[in-house]
Amino acid sequence: MPDEFLTAENLHKSFNEVRAVNGVTFSISRGEIFGLLGPNGAGKTTTIRMLSTVLEPDKGDVNIGGYSTRTSAAEARAILGVCPQDLALYEDLSAMDNLVFFGRMSGLDSKAAKDQAETNLKLMGLADRAKGKIAKFSGGMKRRINLAVSLMGNPELLFLDEPTVGIDPQSRNNIYETIEGLRDKGMTILYTTHYMEEADRLCNRVAIMDGGQIIAMDTPEGLKKQIGDPGKVTLEDVFLHHTGRSLRD
Amino acid sequence: MIKSLHVALLETKIFLKDKAGLAFSLLLPIAIFSLMYGAFGGQTLFYGTAHVVNLDDSGAHAQSLIDQLNEVENLDIVMLTEAEAQRKLDRSDILIAFYIPEDFSADIESGQSTQLSIRQRGNGGSEGQITASIFRSIVEGMNQQLQVHAKVATSVAASGASQQQINTVVENYTATEQQTVSVNTLEQGESPDPVNEFLPGIVTMFILFGISMNARALYEERKRGTLERLITTRLSITQMFAGKFIAYVLRGFIQTLILFSLAYAVFGMFTPASFFQALVLSLMFSGAAGSFGLIIGSISKSEGQAIWMAVFFTMTMVMLGGTFFPIQEGTVLHYISKLSLNTYINDALKSIVVHNNSLASVWPEILIMAGVIVAGLLLSRYLFRVIAT
Repeated sequence: MPDEFLTAENLHKSFNEVRAVNGVTFSISRGEIFGLLGPNGAGKTTTIRMLSTVLEPDKGDVNIGGYSTRTSAAEARAILGVCPQDLALYEDLSAMDNLVFFGRMSGLDSKAAKDQAETNLKLMGLADRAKGKIAKFSGGMKRRINLAVSLMGNPELLFLDEPTVGIDPQSRNNIYETIEGLRDKGMTILYTTHYMEEADRLCNRVAIMDGGQIIAMDTPEGLKKQIGDPGKVTLEDVFLHHTGRSLRD
Repeated sequence: MIKSLHVALLETKIFLKDKAGLAFSLLLPIAIFSLMYGAFGGQTLFYGTAHVVNLDDSGAHAQSLIDQLNEVENLDIVMLTEAEAQRKLDRSDILIAFYIPEDFSADIESGQSTQLSIRQRGNGGSEGQITASIFRSIVEGMNQQLQVHAKVATSVAASGASQQQINTVVENYTATEQQTVSVNTLEQGESPDPVNEFLPGIVTMFILFGISMNARALYEERKRGTLERLITTRLSITQMFAGKFIAYVLRGFIQTLILFSLAYAVFGMFTPASFFQALVLSLMFSGAAGSFGLIIGSISKSEGQAIWMAVFFTMTMVMLGGTFFPIQEGTVLHYISKLSLNTYINDALKSIVVHNNSLASVWPEILIMAGVIVAGLLLSRYLFRVIAT
């Protein structure tokens, strides 16, 4: 694959006796949006936590922009941003305070952090709520701030772990447009979601995980072709084809 | 370093936004200090109450005994009926009562021996024991006077002296009698100031209470995901812990500053030098407590765990540190107390505040706290990494 920006090779991670991730290998090209799909407990979040240097793999290696996360984690962190599945914000502080603080932690100086915070708030349609306390925000606004924080420091690689869960269509659309804008600017994105139409719309390629392993990986069209007529088959059909219809914990 | 300061600033901002936490950490120490001072401070003399049941209402000797009790400084006399005394003893409202029997004066007048009674619950309590001792001493004096009176009366009986003359002789004799053995009390300096005695213990106790807040704050940050988010930035774990440590130390220092300033302004405690030196010591102790907060916060898997581990640690340290009761040298507890950080900080603070020594004289204590800070920070960082991964 040309200009691979992230490579994950044979990743393994167990918690006590449970194998959460079991031999995951894939790569993401620069400027690509790569979707990681899977039912609950498939190992998506554990994979993202290993890729984003929070967890150390039991086995395998991750390389981001030429830096191994085992040996050069600090360098890798300097070029990545993470938008976690659960809101990770200081609720007692204002939106601006949150953005500026994480901007400073991402290496921006005071003025750059403030300027970028204002830019990101505008991007998310929250410029007029800059001084508002996060605790007073709606779920959709919090999600947008969560994404805005992950953009502080101009990361080259962005991990988006279910960024649109539980929000209204307006906020969701705002996030879609933001992600598409980032893609147009050449940002590399790893995206996880349970909404198949979202992955179909945004992702260049998609990997489906189950039981800690990648069981299918291709473009959305390519995956659809594997099981039928791409004009009639949806990505959800593909997903259920590979992961089955039994309920998960 | 700048990133650590930003983390510290953020922690402080969050702390200042939590009004309840702020009130707890800053106002409660003042309230507790005032209460303890009100309860134990300001007065080092004995003050007590003697509960007396006088069944010899019209007896002159009973009245004389009560009058003598009334003359004792700092002793209040409360007269009770027999039934009242019984009920109060039954309910432990009082622990000791003194009974004057019905025929007390009549028996004395007729030359018969008579017996006063003391009823008490257990050993009567420390106040009761002191009051009983005063009571016995007065009875002893009264007894001696009566014996002298009887001997004089017997020896002058043949001379036909009147009762009035005998009384006068006995009074003159007992008033001018030189005691063969007496006790002279010499004053050596002023009474220890209770503020000086209490303050170090209270200050260190409240700095330790901060551990609970620190541990909980670290756990909450992990729970809401911001800690994990911070790990993915350019902030290293060492910088993050350094920032939190600075914030915790600052919080403890502000508490201390308020209490010390209060003690200086209200009780005239400290010289400028001892004020500064006591602050330096408290800063060191805040650091040691802050590193313990980080350890507990790093290993806690729930808010309850964080709080209860901190409470257990705090109370153990406070008890062993001699804040609530003195620990005698040479006892097993004395050696165990060496495991408590409070032992060192309390000793060092007393040395500075009470004895006006300098920081140089408490260098072993300072060294111990510095060691605890370094070891605590390294251990908490290690444990955090282990738990996180």
